[in-house]
Amino acid sequence: MTGVVGRSVESITGALRRAFAAERIAATDGFLQRRDPRITVCSIAGLALAVMLARSLAATLVVGGVTVALARASGVPVRRLLARSAVVPIASAVVVLPQAVLLPGDPLVRGFGLVVTDAGVAYVVAFTLRVGAGVALLSLIVMTTSFSAVVAALRELRVPVALAWVVAITYRYLFLLFDELQRLVLARNSRTAGRSTLRGGWRDARRIAGTFLLRTLDRGERVGRGMRARGGARPPSPYVRSEPLDGGDYALAGLAGLAVVGSVVIRWLP
Amino acid sequence: MIDASGVTHEYPDGTTAIRDVDLAIGAGERVAVVGANGSGKSTLHLVLGGLVDPTAGTVEYFGETSDAEAVRGRLGALLQNPEDYLFNTTVREDIEYGPAQLGMSQPDADARVESLAADLGLRDLLDRPPFRLSGGEKQRAAIASVLAFDPDVLLLDEPFGAVDARYRQRILELLTDHGGSVVVFTPSLEAVPDVADRVVVVGRDGSVVADGAVREVLTDRSLLRTHGLRPPATVRLFEGMVDPDELPLTVAEARRYLRDQVQ
Repeated sequence: MTGVVGRSVESITGALRRAFAAERIAATDGFLQRRDPRITVCSIAGLALAVMLARSLAATLVVGGVTVALARASGVPVRRLLARSAVVPIASAVVVLPQAVLLPGDPLVRGFGLVVTDAGVAYVVAFTLRVGAGVALLSLIVMTTSFSAVVAALRELRVPVALAWVVAITYRYLFLLFDELQRLVLARNSRTAGRSTLRGGWRDARRIAGTFLLRTLDRGERVGRGMRARGGARPPSPYVRSEPLDGGDYALAGLAGLAVVGSVVIRWLP
Repeated sequence: MIDASGVTHEYPDGTTAIRDVDLAIGAGERVAVVGANGSGKSTLHLVLGGLVDPTAGTVEYFGETSDAEAVRGRLGALLQNPEDYLFNTTVREDIEYGPAQLGMSQPDADARVESLAADLGLRDLLDRPPFRLSGGEKQRAAIASVLAFDPDVLLLDEPFGAVDARYRQRILELLTDHGGSVVVFTPSLEAVPDVADRVVVVGRDGSVVADGAVREVLTDRSLLRTHGLRPPATVRLFEGMVDPDELPLTVAEARRYLRDQVQ
């Protein structure tokens, strides 16, 4: 694809696919891939909860270490996991950065009329690491468990069916809509001769955005009909399939439970 | 089973897609609804399937009700574009969506999914996301999804679009085996003799302009030409050489005719 519009669509679509469609790793054999998805979802959520509850740098580093160990045991390249998980904590760090000068504490650095305190720096580092650990854990689920298994697990865990359905359909249609957008851009490129100017590119982008919006609405209506044609007007009632749990499932659940209990102890007990 | 009376549908932009249509589909009937592009076939399909309300006229289902939702499990309306029909995270979930929503027991649904997957070459695709399939695979998955809950009436909008010859034949066999009524909406007349005993022609203005036996309609060149349709290739090939009552409508009939002539 050429031009600003094409490159933007291509990079957004590529990022979306990379973010959601780590099916190749999910299809390989590994510790988390062998786990019951219900256990994976609950345990990872438990570990993330432990990080948030403990509010301690040591606890965050321990859970971070567990995350890396789980990634290795599941055949997930650690560097790739970190790369996927880096954007959100970096953005969070930017947001909380002013705390480095706003929180009272012993001065570390002075300059431009501002004082960076030790408490402020500790807060920014701890907050960023906590967010990073949480995002890395969520990435680990996405990379090791197929999305359909995650949705099925949510249903089996009695998450409101409508909510699980919305998650599933959103996931499904993100791909469809970006494919639609890609097709629109391809159609435009196939009829564009020569190098497009920046101004021309933005003019086309406006047109494409309008058409894309109309197509999206139209598709939404058609999908609604497709659902109704098969009983979609009734409340969702998917079949539930449960597999027996094994030793690895119990071990992972135990580890997560221990982490939650430990974090409660660290946070609230003297 | 379905009785449409004086049905008209006008879109909000003022376009009248179908006009004053009277159409009755009986139990076990095989009907092809044919018409040129833009004649309103798909709108008629949606109206008969209870997915769009007519702006005038009524549609009655099974002599019982005009509320399609009340008989949804007995109506199998397959949309033209499989992308609109497949919205679950895996092909298996999509095929079992209808049975689950319409109250089929899980063991029955599992057996149905396995059987249809075997018939339509979907076994290796059951755990894949539908959007990762090719066009023909999506179409087969959509057909499996509508057959899964075993409706009394199948309303299929262009079901053979992207399907290759092998699976087209398999789908024809499944439709033949289906015990209920089958209504196929298509702009192409080639498959009509294989799926239907009766043909309904929708004119360019959205009204029904002919309704009769397959041979009667498919050999009426003037009617078809007037309404933007083309007779099947075998009819075009043998026209003028063979008595109209003996015109072969399918390749099998043509082969039989030629063999008889040679012998």
